[in-house]
Amino acid sequence: MIRVKNLWHVYENGREALRGIDFQMGNEIVALVGQNGSGKTTLAKHLNGLLKPTKGMVEVDGLDTREHTVAELSRLVGYVFQNPEHMFFEEDVFREVAFGPRNLGLSEDEIEARVRWALRAVNLEGYENRTPYSLSGGEKQRLAIACVLAMRPKYLILDEPTTGLDARSSESVVKTIRKLHSEGHGILVITHDMELVLELAERVVLLHDGRKAFDGPVEEFFSMELHDYGLEKPELLRISEKAGVGFVRNVPELVEALAGGGR
Amino acid sequence: MIYPFYSERGSLLHSLDPRVKILGTAFGIAAIMLYNDPKVLIPLFFVFLLVGRFLGKIPVGEQLRLLKPLLPIVIITIIVWPLIYEPRLKGLLFGISFATRLLTFALLTFLLLITTNQRDLILGFVRLGMPYEFGLTISIALRYIPTLYILSRNIMDAQRSRGWEVEKGNFLVRAKKMTAVLIPLLVASLKTAHELSIALESRALGASEKRTFLYDIRMGRRDYVAMVLVLVLFGLTLYARYGLGIGHVEIYG
Repeated sequence: MIRVKNLWHVYENGREALRGIDFQMGNEIVALVGQNGSGKTTLAKHLNGLLKPTKGMVEVDGLDTREHTVAELSRLVGYVFQNPEHMFFEEDVFREVAFGPRNLGLSEDEIEARVRWALRAVNLEGYENRTPYSLSGGEKQRLAIACVLAMRPKYLILDEPTTGLDARSSESVVKTIRKLHSEGHGILVITHDMELVLELAERVVLLHDGRKAFDGPVEEFFSMELHDYGLEKPELLRISEKAGVGFVRNVPELVEALAGGGR
Repeated sequence: MIYPFYSERGSLLHSLDPRVKILGTAFGIAAIMLYNDPKVLIPLFFVFLLVGRFLGKIPVGEQLRLLKPLLPIVIITIIVWPLIYEPRLKGLLFGISFATRLLTFALLTFLLLITTNQRDLILGFVRLGMPYEFGLTISIALRYIPTLYILSRNIMDAQRSRGWEVEKGNFLVRAKKMTAVLIPLLVASLKTAHELSIALESRALGASEKRTFLYDIRMGRRDYVAMVLVLVLFGLTLYARYGLGIGHVEIYG
């Protein structure tokens, strides 16, 4: 369980990025949304200790992040950064994934087992000898997830995992996220992509101006006036509302609802 | 992070043509090089502080704050001179005077940087005959320092999230660990540079022999007056030094 209590964060330049956030998450898929500068990344960086609270506290499975280093917390909370290329530096995929577990000081056998497992989890088996930079966009994103996954964290934070990916690549990332969730990981997805929120999330947390503006189920989230927060309702929901079928998650659901209504 | 020198204050120095300021700084530095007499060097430092205060509207405290990074070398100069020079009291005086000479060099440069924004400064150099490509290279390099700084912070955060700890281990271990940051940084920089070159070419950089400038600088009457004044002052310092023999003492007798 990740517990955030009355979290404030003030940057060195005096900007108040977070102003009293209360937040909890367990083994669920939570979408963290909000405009640029609303504090999403700042909040997420508190969860694995990259940033420490100015006021308030962050607790991960009972560990206060102020008292533990990022390296210690990285076993619990994995953070996949937006641009996967910002972490690749090894000559092949295997060594790249092995970097994290090696930092944990594990045995070679354990490292190898974890790398194989992580690559299987993101569907990149057989890529062990490829150069990370030679992969496609979706493959890079999945490799980035594997690199963090090999630390075997219970919670995963994904920063904009589908941005800049084509439909098929982003579908492969979504599948990977679903699979990890079904295996018991708690997943926090930072995103601007409302289609992704609609399709994937179980719960939505909306930040606005450093404060939590909404925290609840997806259906309720999309019934709000999102324009006020600089967000757009997905096309799919507009269509389904016009068609009078109400809330749907994806195209097959809409088709089903329409076909069912037609009969 | 990086101290942004320029600040808009609307003073006389701010409003002068950058070429005048660049040449003025160069002549100022040359003038100080001519003298080695403490009786001249020490007062000159205060003269330039006052120039900054009254012509550049920069408070004396702020000027001194800019010079603060030079403090170690100033202290070393002041300590070393009396150690190696006899009589010691005179050595101390020379130490102080050479330290102020150093500070005056820095002060003059800072006055140029603080009263001239980057664009005008580079334009000034280009107008003085520096090839435009040089100017562009310098301004791009300066422009990307903060970007690369943020990028490297980002990469370090990404690697720390994978259990990377640079704080642990001896120097060699830590140097080896830095590859985890340097390689992504290098790759990202090269990619950025490549994209930038495409962007420059697609905006037709170098298409015509003679460039025109959207923001140009023009010498006004005030600038010519200032330039003449600088030249006259420099002429006077030359005359004082070589005609009248003021400001030079024999140190190594």
